[in-house]
Amino acid sequence: MNDVFTRPPRPARNWALIIGAVTAVTLMTWWSGRGIGFSLTELACNLPGGSRLLVESWPPEFSYFPRLLAPLLETLQIAVVGTVIGGILAVPVAVLAARNLTPGFLVWFVDRNFMNILRTLPDLFWAMLFAAAVGFGPIAGALALTVFTIAVISKLWSESLEAINMGVPEAVRASGGSWLQMLQFGAIPQALPHYVSYALYAFELNVRASMILGLVGAGGIGMVLETQRSTFEYPRVTLIVLCVLVIVLIIEQVSESIRRRLI
Amino acid sequence: MRPGTTLQPPAGMGWATRVTLVIAIAFLICAWAIDLTPAALADLPRQMATVLSFFYPADMDYGRSRVLPALLESIHIAWIGTIIGAFISLPLALLGARTLFPRIARLVKLISATARAFPEILLAIYFVPIVGLGAFAGALAIGISSVGMLTKLGAEVVESIDMGPVEAVQAAGGSRLLALRYAVVPQVLPEIVAHWLFRFELNIRASAVLGVVGAGGVGGVLLNTLRYRHFEKAAAVLLLTILVVLIIDMLSGAIRRRLLR
Repeated sequence: MNDVFTRPPRPARNWALIIGAVTAVTLMTWWSGRGIGFSLTELACNLPGGSRLLVESWPPEFSYFPRLLAPLLETLQIAVVGTVIGGILAVPVAVLAARNLTPGFLVWFVDRNFMNILRTLPDLFWAMLFAAAVGFGPIAGALALTVFTIAVISKLWSESLEAINMGVPEAVRASGGSWLQMLQFGAIPQALPHYVSYALYAFELNVRASMILGLVGAGGIGMVLETQRSTFEYPRVTLIVLCVLVIVLIIEQVSESIRRRLI
Repeated sequence: MRPGTTLQPPAGMGWATRVTLVIAIAFLICAWAIDLTPAALADLPRQMATVLSFFYPADMDYGRSRVLPALLESIHIAWIGTIIGAFISLPLALLGARTLFPRIARLVKLISATARAFPEILLAIYFVPIVGLGAFAGALAIGISSVGMLTKLGAEVVESIDMGPVEAVQAAGGSRLLALRYAVVPQVLPEIVAHWLFRFELNIRASAVLGVVGAGGVGGVLLNTLRYRHFEKAAAVLLLTILVVLIIDMLSGAIRRRLLR
């Protein structure tokens, strides 16, 4: 009878693993905390000046807005150009990186690693590189976003391509179609909605990224932001940040509503 | 159907062609506006090749003495940022789940959407004057912007759980807090920790660029080397960054796969 009231056994726990993980996380946090030089005294020293700056940064200087229109427009232009070129170039990169479609192991291996290396560098690093290579200005920004777009779309879309139904591409091949015809009629149409969705997502990321590319001289509103920031014109900085926020939120809403209808 | 003809699928390309056309026109206008002419485009490979030739050989002495410490600082920033984000987002993720707290969830989701709209670097612009130049400002910026994404992803995980255990705890007389502790958290923790790790990978990249506005890490080093045209030193920065990020992605990816198994 007693059996009815005995509790079920507690699930077994791997204490060694738990203790090990907690210790590792604690040590890493302690080490990092020291590494970034978190100190309350410094915080206390900076706080008065900093809070004054913060108070000054509100309200934003709205009269400055007309001067922002041209840079904001340029920012969007950079995002469009980067997304379109990158979106086109991402197609071959994604196809060759899809295990089921790639023509050979060596191509797949090289392309896959190329893709991974593209993804390791943040967008602003590409912007700095292109600004050094082709000079300061929006072209550097557009090129940086091109690379960034290839990295985003090819990674996501190659996974969608790997998940397609291989019956259709095989049928195209079996009826004498070439590899390209197999892609055109068998593989790509199946994953096309995903492609459009990822392209929109990349555009969203690009609009957000294009706003800050100018910090390293790659064109757009960021260049204005950088000059106003370095001269501590925080009321103007706040206005720029607000503009960026509004645009990013609008683009996000539009793109999300399109994407919801697609898939 | 007459014999000998094949059944063609209907030509439903009407709107797709139109959308493509609109995008093409928008692209041409934008490209023209930023002076990206075909001639400029054709000249690009030559320009790139010229600059890239300056990158060789990479100055690895500089890499050891200056770049590695800066990269380590970026990792520290990313780690502290992730820890801050994880701590704040865990309760928010629970509160943001429609299935558990229908009324608060909307508000929490609104907050997280706003936090996500800020690029880290804009937050850093504000944190740098407040807490001083350096890595701590970067860690704060990364932490705050992590909260947005982690809350959203975490709330989605919580919304997808099996509600059976929650009901069981409440049916047995357990409070809401006990239900969270014994029915919700054990179900969601592996996936949420996997999201933390994923965010850590993203934060490494984010913290790498924060140096641009003086918030510590490797970004400032790259900006300076490129500004003074020390391309061999910039090459060391790029090589080491790629290497370190690849290693961390691999480690974190392996742990994530184990967690989700």
